[in-house]
Parts: sequence; structure tokens; C-alpha cells
Amino acid sequence: MKFDMDFIAHNNNLSLMNPYYKLIIAILIMLFSLIVNNLIIDIIVFILMGILITLVAKISFKSYLKFITIPFIFSAITCLYLIFFTGTGEIIFNTHFFGIVVTDKSLNLGINTFCRVFACFSCLGFLALTTPIAEILHCLRSCKVPKIFIEISLLMYNTIFIFLDQLDRMRNAQETRLGYFGTKSAYHSLASLFTNLFVKSLDKSEKLQCALDSRCYDGEIPIYKPSKVKKDA
Amino acid sequence: MLKAENIFYSYDDGTKALKGIDFQISQGEIVALVGKNGAGKSTLFLNFNGILRPDEGNIFVDGDMLKYDKKSLIKCRQKLGIVFQNPDDQIFAPTVEEDVAFGPLNLKLSQDETQKRVSEALKRVGMSGFEKKAPHNLSGGQKKRVAIAGILAMKPEIMILDEPTSGLDPVGVRKIIKLLKELNNEGMTILISTHDVDLVVEYADKVYVIVDGEIIGKGTPNEIFNNMEIIKKANLRLPLIAELFKKLEENGKITGLNNNYPLTVKEGYEKITEILK
Repeated sequence: MKFDMDFIAHNNNLSLMNPYYKLIIAILIMLFSLIVNNLIIDIIVFILMGILITLVAKISFKSYLKFITIPFIFSAITCLYLIFFTGTGEIIFNTHFFGIVVTDKSLNLGINTFCRVFACFSCLGFLALTTPIAEILHCLRSCKVPKIFIEISLLMYNTIFIFLDQLDRMRNAQETRLGYFGTKSAYHSLASLFTNLFVKSLDKSEKLQCALDSRCYDGEIPIYKPSKVKKDA
Repeated sequence: MLKAENIFYSYDDGTKALKGIDFQISQGEIVALVGKNGAGKSTLFLNFNGILRPDEGNIFVDGDMLKYDKKSLIKCRQKLGIVFQNPDDQIFAPTVEEDVAFGPLNLKLSQDETQKRVSEALKRVGMSGFEKKAPHNLSGGQKKRVAIAGILAMKPEIMILDEPTSGLDPVGVRKIIKLLKELNNEGMTILISTHDVDLVVEYADKVYVIVDGEIIGKGTPNEIFNNMEIIKKANLRLPLIAELFKKLEENGKITGLNNNYPLTVKEGYEKITEILK
């Protein structure tokens, strides 16, 4: 099964909790770990958020792992770069290769950065996994975040799913015709996949514009704020 | 109610998409616009509500000539709701209710009125209870109905549907057709583009046939589908029932049809019982 973040956000133990609380919890803890800048605190925050996500919100551990894999890879690469290519100070490991060395300062910096990134990321993950996007956007709106940001994220959010779906279908079509056997053909297939996706995206955006215009769009997406649900009929 | 006079339209690259279209639809009709892919159906629809501006010719909505200033465009687009072929092109909001509310809110209706219209429209298309759902978790037929609700909520006088049954399963198709018939009975004028000839003969009062940007035939389903020349030119075929009767006639099993084949299951049934008597 594919990882469906939206489904998780709608179906967990915390999805009905007031989104403002969740937003405040996530942002406060994130700011806290950023300001304090302490390795131990970062690790505690990460563990705390892990507990909130898996035990309190009852999101399966597997989904959470999937969710953090990609950011893990990215931050690991960044931090490896930091460890090997920056910093001065006492050399603690010498690769004897183009003079690349690990110093105590760079090691420190790398590990610290990694932990901070992960502490902050787990806060955001908590928010993203427990709160449906529509509610987050509503919160941001009432926090007076500029409209343009909200409109762009709103449109992006929805098109991401269409985009991924399209990507999936095109890749399946290519794989059906053995497009990814052999390095050369894989590069070629990948290139045409992205070209095509780009052209299709442009086409889609034009169509969306037509559809919005047909419903009297005037450059600003209006806000729908229904009064509290009336349980009649 | 909606009238187009001598519409010419060409794309930026010079392709002539519409070449002198005359079109008319009256209150309470269901009109089908049939033609093969790329004949100009969608382009014509976008000309109707002023998204595209014809190079030549005029559009009349309720007798008023369409002008292209903001006020008349809004008025026109409220009266003429277009349901696009691919609901993914139309539905953009993160929840169903927000998407349906988009049109009414653009018409500057109050939140309360909008909420009323949203729940009415969703109820009308049988999608009550899906208000908070994310559109991308719905099935194709459900998305289609949400798209229709989004137009219904604007209370249009004419609903234009671009291939409303393409890509749906048979039950989904039935449901959509039933819904459209019900809406028509309630007074909605409906214009549908399609190439499903078996369905056209079931619901349409009037049929326009478009080929390469030109209307080559208009009339009742009977007039159109008994004119083999039009059918051939438009890359269409006869409805299956009519094909059956045609074959029976060609092999001499039936006589006296005079090129007037039954088109729907109902007509075919009546004809057969008549013969069997």
C-alpha cells in the first residue's frame, strides 16, 4: 500500500483535537529546541514527538518510519558534508584523500545540526500527520498569514496528488515497455518522463484556470466559513 | 435562451477550431452536441461562457448579447455552468464542501446562504455526508457528482456538461443520466457533449452534429440518426438497436421500416412486439 499522508491525517486519534493546540504545541516546541540549541534537548524533543505520534495519536510505527525516511536521507547527506568539508580545529580523523579531514568542530557541528533538524522535523511531522491540511490552512488564515501563501499552498496541495498520480501512471506505462532495464534506457526514460510531466503540468494549469474562471474566479479564492454544523434533518 | 451566431474561433497557432457555428438552445431542453474528438466541442463551450472570445460572431444569453466586461461575464457564467470533462481539472479545494462553496462565494453570497446552497447541492447529487472528505479520495463517479454540485450551487439556468459519462462505469453513467433527467424535469436546461450515441437517443430532445468546427446537422434524434450521410461524415454510428433493425431489414427479415429505425430499447421493444403479433 502506498503511503497516504492525507488518510492518516484524517484518521488518527488526534485528528479531532483543536488544530490551534496542535499548531501551538508544534511551533512552541520547535522554537524551544531551536533556541536552546542543546543536543540532549533535541533528542528529548524527537523522542517526545515520536511518542505523541505513535502512542498518543496511534499512528502505526511503520507509517511514521516511512514518513521520516526521506528527510532522514537528506539531512544525513547534509550533515556528512558538514562533517567532512567544514570546520577547523583538532584533526581527529584523516582520510588521506585530497586532504579531507574530520575535525572535532566539524564533527560537533554535523551531529548538532542533524539532531536539530530532526527535532524540528518531528514537530512538523506531528502537525502534518495529525491535522488535515484544510484545518492547518484555516489556522494560518486566522493567524493573518498573507493570503497569497495560503492560496498557493491550497492549490499545490491538491495538485500534488494529481501530479503523483500522473507520475505513477506514466512510470507504469514506461515500465510496461521495459523502459528501466539498463542504465542508458533508464536515463532516457526518466528524461522523457520529466519532460512530459512538465508539459502536462502546464496543460493542467491552463485547464484549471479555465475551470476556475467558469465559476467566476476573480483572482482571490474566497474563504468558506460555515457556521457550526447544525445537526438537523 | 442561449444563442450563438456565426461563431468563428481560431487558436493562437492559426488552427481554425470553429468555422461559423450557429447554435440555439431553448428553455427546458436537453440538447446533445455530438462529434468526434477534436471537432471543437469543448472550444465551443468555452466560447459560450466567455472564457474564449470568438474572432467573429456573437453569443446571446437570454437575448442579451454577451459583452466581455467583468460584470457581464460574471452574469453570464452564473447563468451558464460548465462541468468539465475531467473533474480533476475542476475540483481544487482540499475538501468537498469548500470546492462546492467556491462558486457561490465568488458570486458574493453570504456564508449562510452559501452553506445552504452547498448542502442543497450535495444532497441533490447524492453526496451528502461527504462534506469534509478530500476530493482525491473519491471515486471517479463521486468526483463527477461533486463537480456537478459545484455548478448546481451557483443555480445556473443552463448546465453544460463536457462528456459527462466518459470514464465512468455503467452504474455511474446511469446515475449521472438519471440525475440530469431529474434536473431537467425541475426546469434546468441542459447541454451535453458526447459521442455515446446509445445514450443520446435516450435523453436528448435535440441533437447537433459538429464536424471540424462546423455544424453539419441538427434536429431530433430521429431526424439525425436516419440520415446516414450525416452519421458517416461525423464518424458516428447508429445506436445498437438501430443497427440491429438495419441488419434485419438488409437481410429481408423485416420490411416497411422506410429508413425509420427504432433508436432506443423502448422503441425497439415496441416494434418487435408489433411484428410478433
